[in-house]
Amino acid sequence: MRTKNRAQRTLLTGVALLLAGLFFFPTYWMINSSLRPSNANLTTEYDLFPTSITFDNFVTAVTRPGFTNFLTNSLIVAVGAMLCAVAAGILAAIPLCRLRFRGRRGFVLLVLIAQLAPLEALLIPMYLLMRDVGLLNMLPALLLVNVATTLPFTIWTLRGFVNGIPVDLEEAAMVDGCSRWGAFRRVTLPLLGPALVSTSVFSFITAWNEFLFALVLMRDQSNQTLPVWLSTFSTVFGTDWGGTMAASVVFALPVLIYFLIVQRNLVAGNTAGAVKG
Amino acid sequence: MTATVDTTVPAGATPPAPSADGPGRRARRRPLGDALLPYLLIAPAIIALLALLGWPAIQVILISFRKLDLGELVRGEIVWNGFDNYAEILGDPEFWVITLRTMLFTAACVVGTVGVGLLIALLMRQIGPVVRLVLQISLVLAWAMPILAATTVFQWIFDQNFGILNKTLVLIGFDSFQGFSWFSTGASTLTVIALLIIWQGVPFIAFTLYAGLLSVPGDLYEAAGIDGASGWQGFRAVTWPALAPMVGLATFQSILWDFKVFTQVWAIRQGGPDGESTTLSVLQYIKGISGSHFGVAAAVAVLMILVLTVLVGQYMRLLIRRQEGAL
Repeated sequence: MRTKNRAQRTLLTGVALLLAGLFFFPTYWMINSSLRPSNANLTTEYDLFPTSITFDNFVTAVTRPGFTNFLTNSLIVAVGAMLCAVAAGILAAIPLCRLRFRGRRGFVLLVLIAQLAPLEALLIPMYLLMRDVGLLNMLPALLLVNVATTLPFTIWTLRGFVNGIPVDLEEAAMVDGCSRWGAFRRVTLPLLGPALVSTSVFSFITAWNEFLFALVLMRDQSNQTLPVWLSTFSTVFGTDWGGTMAASVVFALPVLIYFLIVQRNLVAGNTAGAVKG
Repeated sequence: MTATVDTTVPAGATPPAPSADGPGRRARRRPLGDALLPYLLIAPAIIALLALLGWPAIQVILISFRKLDLGELVRGEIVWNGFDNYAEILGDPEFWVITLRTMLFTAACVVGTVGVGLLIALLMRQIGPVVRLVLQISLVLAWAMPILAATTVFQWIFDQNFGILNKTLVLIGFDSFQGFSWFSTGASTLTVIALLIIWQGVPFIAFTLYAGLLSVPGDLYEAAGIDGASGWQGFRAVTWPALAPMVGLATFQSILWDFKVFTQVWAIRQGGPDGESTTLSVLQYIKGISGSHFGVAAAVAVLMILVLTVLVGQYMRLLIRRQEGAL
């Protein structure tokens, strides 16, 4: 439907730009505030644009006691959960698509229900379970929880991808003398590369974002992750908004950059893997 | 989480035949190994799912019928108390206030997210490619921002004395916002949290619906145009029927996400001031983790699941059945 009317088109363009500004503003404001001298954030003056740029806030943020420790914890948990979830996910996706076995439908149903279940409601039993097996306050507990939260999604997504690769290709390879596994490894697995990358990244981001279980299972200060640390910024940074924003930028930047790199695919409607809390 | 259209894949050329009629000499199959292979492959996933989701799911129901406070936990006692936990919660007027608050809050977030998302999706079709790209990049940035980073930024924007929002409002003539505290009442705190959730939730919905719009064949519009349909009639006759199922799905997903939201609510004001922004998931945390009333907290969790089931159970059944059909 082409809008023939020029005035209408200009109006819609204006609305679009206004919305773009609204959605962009918080990101801009985070970066802008992080680059200002700290006292410039605490003035009553009105300035939307940076006048002088400094990296002092970043020095303040990363030299806070514990920062490197929390960053390491976050990385261990997110990378570990990502590797486990994607490995278990691809192992499960292969037989679901390529083999017939008893209980297959039931398993798929379990995965589907797990994806829709509100995991937050399992907080109490999860806490007691980790306490009973002696993992409370230990990073592996958090890693396992994050595997549980991302695994249904990775299985489901990878299953979709494997299904999208025609089985004929494998059959042709088998006619040419490959074994069943050889055909899968030489034909299908290489085609799955992009799928593995995207599910990996989404598992990583989900775990990177996770807050509730980190808050509950890591009662010990030294085992906290970045999100939990950031949530206490008012005690960590006081009214140092520059420092708070710099810490937020450090936390957000890897994810923001990744999204900008792949934004073409996201916009193309390949929205598999919504990351949301 | 797009529903991928699955076609049933025929098993490979050499299906593992459990009833192999006599092992041929050339194809030396190991029927047992072949039969076990799929189970070996799904074992890690199934163990993880059952241990970390299935077991806690059963436990949450069982614990909700037990008296389990710190004392029982330390002593390792199992004390069944029937429906006492439920009676305690349902008899507490505060619980009903929190439930109603959670529902209203969820409704506001969902209507805001889906409404704005739908408008942006429709808008994206009407604007030039450059403006569209600018809009899309700003949406991607909002979507990508980790929740906790977004939460701190919103607290800074809404800051009482130095926040840019109050400064802007004063600048354009609303002097009463000088030093206005956005976090002094539960209602305005929840408003800020809802704005934060909508801001983060819209991009995904907008992109999903936009992708749906792109799949509406253009010749349908041409046909509608030839038949003399106005823009609105074209929307009613062509766009909406194609979009309606996707809007339904987006609404369903938003309800699932927003009803149980904890991170943003807790990180902004821990459910305060005076518990006025406490939602059901925060109540579960306060009862169970802060108060060590694990049995009561489990009952809150079960009630949460029940409310959610009432809200979206029908839709969930439909979704599962449709996916099942595609197995």
